[in-house]
Amino acid sequence: MSTTVEAGRYGSGKAVRRVEDPALVRGAGRFTDDLTRAAQTHLVFLRSPHAHARIRNVDTSAALALPGVLAVYSGADLVVAGVKPMGNAVPFPRPDGQPGASATRYAIALDRVRYVGEAVAAVVAESREAAMNGAEAVMVDFEDLPAVTDPLLAIRAGAPVLCDQAPDNIAAEMRHGDAAAADDAFKRAAHVVSLDLVNQRLAPSAMEPRVVLAELDAASGRLTVTLSSQMPTAVRDGIANALPGLSKEQVRVLVGDVGGGFGMKTGVYPEDIVVAHAARSLKRPVKWCAQRLEEFSASVHGRDVVTKAELALDATGKVLALRTRSYANVGGYAMTVGVAIQLLIGPWVSTSIYDIPAISLHLSAVMTNTTPTGAYRGAGRPEAIYIIERLMDAAAREMKLDGAELRRRNMIRPDRMPYKNPMGQTYDVGQFEKMLDQGLALADWGGYEARRAASKARGRLRGRGIATFLEWTGGNALSEQVTVNVRPEGLIELTIATLPMGQGIATSFAQLAVDVFGVPIEQIRILHGDTDRANGFGSAGSRSLFTGGSAVQVASERTVEHAKELAGEALEASPRDIEYRAGRFAIVGTDRGIGLFELAAKQPDARISADGAATAGAPSWPNACHVCEVEIDPETGAVELAAYASVNDIGRVVSPTIVRGQIEGGAVQGIGQALCEQVVYDRDSGQLLTASFMDYALPHADTFRGFETVFDTSVPCTTNLLGAKGVGELGTIGATPAVVNAVVDALAGTGLGGDAERVQMPLTAPVVWRALHGDFDAVAWG
Amino acid sequence: MTSLRIQVNGKPVETDVAPQTLLVDLLRGPLALTGTHQGCDTAQCGACTVLLDGLAVKSCSMLALQAQGRAVTTVEGLARGDAPHPLQEAFMACHGLQCGFCTPGMLMSACGLLRQVPQPSDAQIVDALEGNLCRCTGYVNIVAAVQQAAQVMAAAGEEA
Repeated sequence: MSTTVEAGRYGSGKAVRRVEDPALVRGAGRFTDDLTRAAQTHLVFLRSPHAHARIRNVDTSAALALPGVLAVYSGADLVVAGVKPMGNAVPFPRPDGQPGASATRYAIALDRVRYVGEAVAAVVAESREAAMNGAEAVMVDFEDLPAVTDPLLAIRAGAPVLCDQAPDNIAAEMRHGDAAAADDAFKRAAHVVSLDLVNQRLAPSAMEPRVVLAELDAASGRLTVTLSSQMPTAVRDGIANALPGLSKEQVRVLVGDVGGGFGMKTGVYPEDIVVAHAARSLKRPVKWCAQRLEEFSASVHGRDVVTKAELALDATGKVLALRTRSYANVGGYAMTVGVAIQLLIGPWVSTSIYDIPAISLHLSAVMTNTTPTGAYRGAGRPEAIYIIERLMDAAAREMKLDGAELRRRNMIRPDRMPYKNPMGQTYDVGQFEKMLDQGLALADWGGYEARRAASKARGRLRGRGIATFLEWTGGNALSEQVTVNVRPEGLIELTIATLPMGQGIATSFAQLAVDVFGVPIEQIRILHGDTDRANGFGSAGSRSLFTGGSAVQVASERTVEHAKELAGEALEASPRDIEYRAGRFAIVGTDRGIGLFELAAKQPDARISADGAATAGAPSWPNACHVCEVEIDPETGAVELAAYASVNDIGRVVSPTIVRGQIEGGAVQGIGQALCEQVVYDRDSGQLLTASFMDYALPHADTFRGFETVFDTSVPCTTNLLGAKGVGELGTIGATPAVVNAVVDALAGTGLGGDAERVQMPLTAPVVWRALHGDFDAVAWG
Repeated sequence: MTSLRIQVNGKPVETDVAPQTLLVDLLRGPLALTGTHQGCDTAQCGACTVLLDGLAVKSCSMLALQAQGRAVTTVEGLARGDAPHPLQEAFMACHGLQCGFCTPGMLMSACGLLRQVPQPSDAQIVDALEGNLCRCTGYVNIVAAVQQAAQVMAAAGEEA
């Protein structure tokens, strides 16, 4: 077996086993909580039981007197120590033209709490039990304040106010498009549909709770923070910015295995800063491990936007205009990312794959007494695609047209590419009708009536839904850099700042390196998660492969070119006469040569090193057609998925197995939003009612297993070296509208007609049963 | 502190534990078997699942002392020497894991099932994994991996 054959089996495009797996299946992963340091202490947070309260006093004396307790920090203690508040600029204007507003967020609340679960004290002790006992002994004198958790109530006059600069609780507001043109289109329209759409609040729920371990090197004053994060560099910078007298160079952030991220482990969290501060002041290692309760109440939530959405169409079904009014509940503090997701990123894809001449979008980010929102898989695009795909089906129903046919009439044709949408976003390529045709064939669209009849014969209501859509990927962080080191022991190390969190990028990067080096995949090592070795944006927005992978290719090629020069010296030949193949340099036309690793051993520092960087020219625009069929038991309202077919235009595929896992696993998250997941707050008290997996319903193993998933790789992205398009969020974005459209279709077929459109997610059995009986929860517009 | 004598992954363990110590904390702490994970506080996620005398249990919801005199198997004890257990092999072959955090619990729940039901239907696999949450995979490949492992073991005449 030659090396070439071996390498060919593991290069890009091949289904390979993941390099991550052997350790993980043996229980030998290195998650942060698996680490224990000598003289390690434990930190526990005391969190607010109130949704909204003034903090009159925090008495830490009883806690400090308990055995094993080493330190107790209140918000005031941190301020005295010089710890700065969290940076949470809101870079969008308020309705009155003033700058975007948010109450100042402290790592530990200073004088007021704004959501249940906000930290009010931290206790460090010799053991976790002692720290928990300490937290119970901290006496906080709260003055309970009226709370509001519903954004439509929060904007009413007289509602509790969270931030003095925003007496209407509106942190920021944006208007996009041409309101006059849209209004005019609505006046001319032959058909208008209008929907109230609630995109409910979700808990991202990575299975590994957040963990932070901080330790100080007393001699150098350097702080090492090990944690579960998608963005080590942002955490490093956030900690250095917050702690007094600490430069970025004095902070090293390490990330081991990450047990899921989905966007919620991006950026610096208040807890990271508190643990880092404690380690610095106590000069001992400090570890905090979140309980699931804390994950539900104090890690960012996603989605949560209510929209009045309208579509104007002419008599032929051509969409003339999209008009929306949205209120996003961004929580107790308006965070930069949470606001940007709702006011900007979602709107970027609001017209999706359709050629819609006029839009008018008006969006408000509203503060309420709930956990702040941030990134969660899809981040704005699921909300926007849900709106347009629900509208498309509603319009088709109104016009008595096939939903697929109405979509087809409005799709942007390939000859319009590159296409600039009304939000100024440019799609490089896209053959949307081709995806639709393949999707309809895969789903046997034409054979549906027979399946519906069969369901009916079994007493079930069948419905089908379709979503044709695209999404924006890359996080607008389009550059990445890779350092390569070839080592004599037969290893090629590639160091990069993107961060695996389950998406298998070490495997995909290794495959790309195999393409260039022609060595077995076992000889490639992907190193990441160390800010002393690589810095960058991290992994989010489905960017890692097409930005980082491009950099892997460039850096690998540069390494080979550099090594050719070294080989020329070693072989006393011109580099122009040297060829490289499968781990060996040879002088063309001779049998003289030298192995790559042998060459590395000959170098003064016993390695061959090179850097390489790549910058994608633009976001990539993956797109797809997802078709779902459901069956409803009319006796119970229970929804079962009967079929799910998808055709996905994702450009070049490096790791087919991984891509399929991303799309189908992502789809189950989208199905979770459609059918079962919802963060619920008690409207009066502001208590979080879904604070455990008992109460927050994640999809279980019985959700669905019959996915038919097809990739179309014939339309590579033209703006990155690989031609790849991001796939991490595509499945999640498509699944929610496809499933909900299917349920609405089934309901509409019962005689509910257009009333079926009033049903809101999650489509649990009680919600669907009530809908079947004409009972809906109406949106309470102010 | 109370004296505890148990067998862990085939080896006898004698140690003193506090009466309130949970089995998961004994495993992850003093015994340094960190493959058993903790993902929740309410015995819902199943990442901490181990075998107790061959039956799958959640080690977060029992005291270490309740394992007195019994045999505990963790994910670290699943492999057969240097060779992965057929379940571990199948999870790798079927892409049955992404972030890998839930995986030890999935493997141990599946192992408990296959000891009771060597050739389960897909429905039986789904039922046995009801107490294990995964946020990455959507479960499709997990169920496929358990089924593949069962078939491989049946063909080879092996037991889980």
